[in-house]
Amino acid sequence: MATTNPISGQTSTAENAAANLLVMATAMPAEQLDGVLANLSEAFSADSLIVATQNEQPPSAPTTLRVITAPRSNATWMLRPGDFVHAYEIAREHDVRAVVMLGPNANSLSPLALRALAEAVLNASTDLAMPHYTLPPNTGFINSAILYPLTRALFAARVRFPLALDLALSMRMAERLAAAARRIGASSDDDTILWPVNEAVAAGFTVDEIDAGPRAVPQPAGIDVNAILALITGSLFGDIEAKAAAWQRPRRPPLMRRTSPDMLPAGSTADVARMVEAFRLANANLQEIWSLVLPPHSLVMLKRFSVVEPSAFRLPENLWARIVFDFLIAYRLRTINRGHLMGALIPLYLGWLASHINVTAAGTAAERHIEAVASAFELDKPYLVARWRWPDRFNA
Amino acid sequence: MQSVVQNLLPPSRTAAQIPAYVDEGSIWHHMSDALHQSLYRVLTLLIAVLPGILAFFVALLVFTVTGVVVSWVLRRCLGWLKFDQRLARKSGTDWTPSSSPTEIVARFSFWACVLLGLIIGVSAFDTSYATGTPLPISLLPYLTHAVGAALLLVAGILIARFLARSVLISAVNAQLQYARILSLGVKWLVLVLTAAMVLDHLQVGGDIVELAFGILFGGIVLTLALAVGLGSRDLVSRSLESHVEHSGERLHLPENDSPATKSIRHF
Repeated sequence: MATTNPISGQTSTAENAAANLLVMATAMPAEQLDGVLANLSEAFSADSLIVATQNEQPPSAPTTLRVITAPRSNATWMLRPGDFVHAYEIAREHDVRAVVMLGPNANSLSPLALRALAEAVLNASTDLAMPHYTLPPNTGFINSAILYPLTRALFAARVRFPLALDLALSMRMAERLAAAARRIGASSDDDTILWPVNEAVAAGFTVDEIDAGPRAVPQPAGIDVNAILALITGSLFGDIEAKAAAWQRPRRPPLMRRTSPDMLPAGSTADVARMVEAFRLANANLQEIWSLVLPPHSLVMLKRFSVVEPSAFRLPENLWARIVFDFLIAYRLRTINRGHLMGALIPLYLGWLASHINVTAAGTAAERHIEAVASAFELDKPYLVARWRWPDRFNA
Repeated sequence: MQSVVQNLLPPSRTAAQIPAYVDEGSIWHHMSDALHQSLYRVLTLLIAVLPGILAFFVALLVFTVTGVVVSWVLRRCLGWLKFDQRLARKSGTDWTPSSSPTEIVARFSFWACVLLGLIIGVSAFDTSYATGTPLPISLLPYLTHAVGAALLLVAGILIARFLARSVLISAVNAQLQYARILSLGVKWLVLVLTAAMVLDHLQVGGDIVELAFGILFGGIVLTLALAVGLGSRDLVSRSLESHVEHSGERLHLPENDSPATKSIRHF
């Protein structure tokens, strides 16, 4: 855990100017950092911000920007808890008013998006500004299937990308996240994930979503869908378990403020056939494990859908919401080993994905279907709360 | 009767030398003696062991009652000190297990007292048994082996179930058609190993168990190999073919294909 001054060196053109904003850029290839610096110099006036980078001192940095070096973390595809600790310490050191954190591939963000993120926390009374990316239709399915609907239903935060790679923080939010990061072990090298939206809602801070346009999303290297789903979903389930007192309070979900552009169908028939095959195989072999987690009604429904042709395969939104909630309950109750639980969820997720591809191929806009899924989660929240409080077996 | 006994005896021995064996009353007398001695031995044993058994139950009862009292006092004290709230404030997170910290501390203290009572009771019983009885009992030492064997059995069953589930889920997610066979094979391998260890611990069977274990273990491995390699040849072929087909479909996609047919990115 870093408690000393993490700044190891700095170059400056305006050493004594008071900056309002700290931009913390995680480690990234030099050409990406050059792009980020160019966009920042276009978006902000030079004396209004300090850029802390985890890269070595870039030789080609615009001379108008104050660039300092921050301690390096091993963030390759998402922000790490250590990044929040370092960002807060540097921000406090330089007495700035807000922090913008940029993840890998942030050079694909436009100057406009960078400015909008910063202004949300500098000028408005927002504590956490989350970007709303416009991603390609074949990207971010774990987010669409689980992260977004769960976060929206439980924390009443309509943030489309709860695990965004970039975000803007007020100082009190940065302090809160740094404290949370320290608590969960900021210095550890394992894949610990911090959930800023959940933290903000639990603290009663304001959260806003900012249109950020297209962005290149880095993919985790060397791990497949099985590992990534278990990692991310397990982490979110753990965070939900830790904040049970916060999300069980009744909250009114915020109104939808923007409509996402309609996207093309997300996958091919070959993808669907493969996913449905995986789902069928699991349905034939994992009944013993699923029956420990899912109620009989869900099992019957799954069995019924498993015999449908791949092209006609559909998983109703309410059934998917119920499945995720039942897995969340089983995670909390430790009904079976948590590693096994996450493993047993994978074929069901693939089933949802096949269904989503079929639905979008039939003409429904992808975002509309994802919104329908999220609404199903919201509607079924009372079931989750009831079973969370009185977790007897399948009482609904 | 007398003539029959005489016929059975060797000719060198005279009837005068064996009057006790031919007397009907004497047989009953000896049988009665044997029974009395046996009864005496058992009663002596029970009398020797009874104080130990009583001491065991008294120790267990006393410490259980003590545990109840201690846990009640702890609950009241920790509740008065607002231990749960202080702990939550200090750790900064909501308490996640289903029981509160106070409840856990109280339960821990109760079970610690019960365990202490058990240890003291067993110790008292052991002392009374060792010093009080002059007679050897083969059953009691065997019971300790039986307890160890039962623990081995429980651990083996748990490990077998855990490994079977791990293999099943991993194999299903790897889309192996013979996932269930693999899982069952692993489960029975561990169960057979456990059974052999249990029997060995109980000192039952001796070499037969080792031999039977070797045959069974080897048999299961051979069965698995045959099932996957020969018996499930069609399944394996189909699985491999479908894998190749899927790979082939992706490989043969035109380069300027629509975004819909690009590979799926889950994150």
